Amino acid sequence: MDETVAEFIKRIFLKIPMTNIMTILKAWDFLSESQLQTVNFRQRKEPLVQELVLLCEEKCASLNDAALLDIIYIQVHRHQKLWDVFKMNKGPGEDVDLFDIEQFKSSFTKILQRALKNVTVSFRDAEENAVWIRIAWGTHHTKPNQYKATYVVYYPQTPYVFMSLSRLKRNIPLLDQALMIASKHHQIVKIDLRSRYLDSLKAIVFKQYNQFFETHNSTAPLQETSLWLDTNMDLRVIHENKIEKERVQRVTRETFGDCPQPRLEFAQYKLETKFKSNLNGGILADREEPLRCMIKFSSPHLLEALKSLAPAGK
Amino acid sequence: MEPANTLRQDGESKGGILAHLEKLETQMNRSHKRFEEPQRAQAEASTLRTRIHKLRLLRDKLRAEVKQRQARIEASAASAEPDQTLETSEQEVLETKRENLKAILQAYRFTGLSGKLTSRGVCVCIHTAFEGNLLDSYFVDLVIQKPLWIHRHSVPVFIPLEEIAAKYLQIDVQHFLFSLCEHLNAYAGRKYQADRLESDFAAFLAGPLQRNSLCNLLSFTYKREPGGQSFPFCARLLYKDLTVTLPTDVTVTYQGMDALPTSWEEQRVSHENLFRTTSLHKVFTSFAGEGGKLDMSLLP
Repeated sequence: MDETVAEFIKRIFLKIPMTNIMTILKAWDFLSESQLQTVNFRQRKEPLVQELVLLCEEKCASLNDAALLDIIYIQVHRHQKLWDVFKMNKGPGEDVDLFDIEQFKSSFTKILQRALKNVTVSFRDAEENAVWIRIAWGTHHTKPNQYKATYVVYYPQTPYVFMSLSRLKRNIPLLDQALMIASKHHQIVKIDLRSRYLDSLKAIVFKQYNQFFETHNSTAPLQETSLWLDTNMDLRVIHENKIEKERVQRVTRETFGDCPQPRLEFAQYKLETKFKSNLNGGILADREEPLRCMIKFSSPHLLEALKSLAPAGK
Repeated sequence: MEPANTLRQDGESKGGILAHLEKLETQMNRSHKRFEEPQRAQAEASTLRTRIHKLRLLRDKLRAEVKQRQARIEASAASAEPDQTLETSEQEVLETKRENLKAILQAYRFTGLSGKLTSRGVCVCIHTAFEGNLLDSYFVDLVIQKPLWIHRHSVPVFIPLEEIAAKYLQIDVQHFLFSLCEHLNAYAGRKYQADRLESDFAAFLAGPLQRNSLCNLLSFTYKREPGGQSFPFCARLLYKDLTVTLPTDVTVTYQGMDALPTSWEEQRVSHENLFRTTSLHKVFTSFAGEGGKLDMSLLP
């Protein structure tokens, strides 16, 4: 086994926290059951990693096996990367998307390999038919840098792609082109959404938040009791604004739903509006031009914070 | 108290006496105050106590009045019994009507399209089915405003919901819903066929079934008999129309090097026709059932 591959595998193993090592090894499925049984998983990390690397050497792990391990590591620790969202458009009047995954993979790899001789491309299928792609970039003269790979998550037959771009920005146009041609789209556009939380991005982009829907068949009745006018409170205390509070709660529930919100950290709005004022003769009151400003909300978990404003009485 | 001291020096003694008197006065004031405070507190407490007493009396009076009125109503109700039974029977009738309506609303799901009014619009539910099997349900929550818009939905991401909405939602809601129903039912049907092939007829497949999210491209290698001596055929099924459950294009090829003997060539062509006209799992059921011959009775 190549020394660089061994070093690469060793560094990945060292990054994995002890609690996740077993899950990742099982998902990788490269070392056999019998091999894994010979390993003592209770020892300290460094000797454990050395044992695992030796086992990989015995089995002659290739660069592709190592790349697969890297994809699995990122899949488990996806919040360590910052994900951008891209939308691809087909031309008007295009045929129905008959997506052939094998064709896509070979086309994508060929385009990259034709442009840059040295590039490592790996694929792994994931939940909901998503395809995870890992690209390690090199040039015509240098080997691919395995430590600065780009990761792409593509949902076939949808226009959306999520990318975690490495700092090697010069390869982005090539990557875009390869994606478009392989998936038969004409255009790729970056949309204004970025986050560490890939699942939240998915929920926002695919509108999958709040999957509770009202039907006549629901056996579980909608919870009538509100969450914060809770029954532990003293029954002698009567809420003056009970009706108003219930209305606020209902609107909040309709807008946000009962499920946990996707995780947004900041939202920025460009506002263009005319200033309204009750006082006559205020400085801004009689302006003809609309006011332009940018409002930025930020919080560790923006939507949950907004959702909790309602019980706080705002 | 030191009377001996004060009598000894005259000048000083006067000042001494006055000072002494002053001391006694302040002492007295202080002790008066100390007496007064608990007295004041006691006075306040007693006024409050009387107030509580009065309020309790009032409460008891009101309670007694309420009880009286209730008793009066019950008395009058008891005397007017026939009216009451009439009321309950009316109530029972209404109850049964309500239960019936509820059951009808619940049964609407079997039509494939049902909905429930929400505070802002309607939550439409599409129940898919294929060949008499009820499959998944999908929801679309519409907000009734100008323009009509979709608040949220549970339609899978690869169904072209945005396209269908762009075409029909504002112009003709019915058309929108029916088009969406078509797409979803067709998708559910294709998925059902692919799932059945993978689960029930895995013995016929020589490799994994290649499929995509929409299940509109299926590619697999199969044998006419499970583990038998028949040649493996490669089938590629394309569903170019997203509203159909039968493929629009079928290619069955043979992967060997030698030319196919005529009988196998005939089979290849007939398989192509079968795939084009019959649902996938039914084709394989016919393969399994006959074990060698094609079952013509299963063809439509």
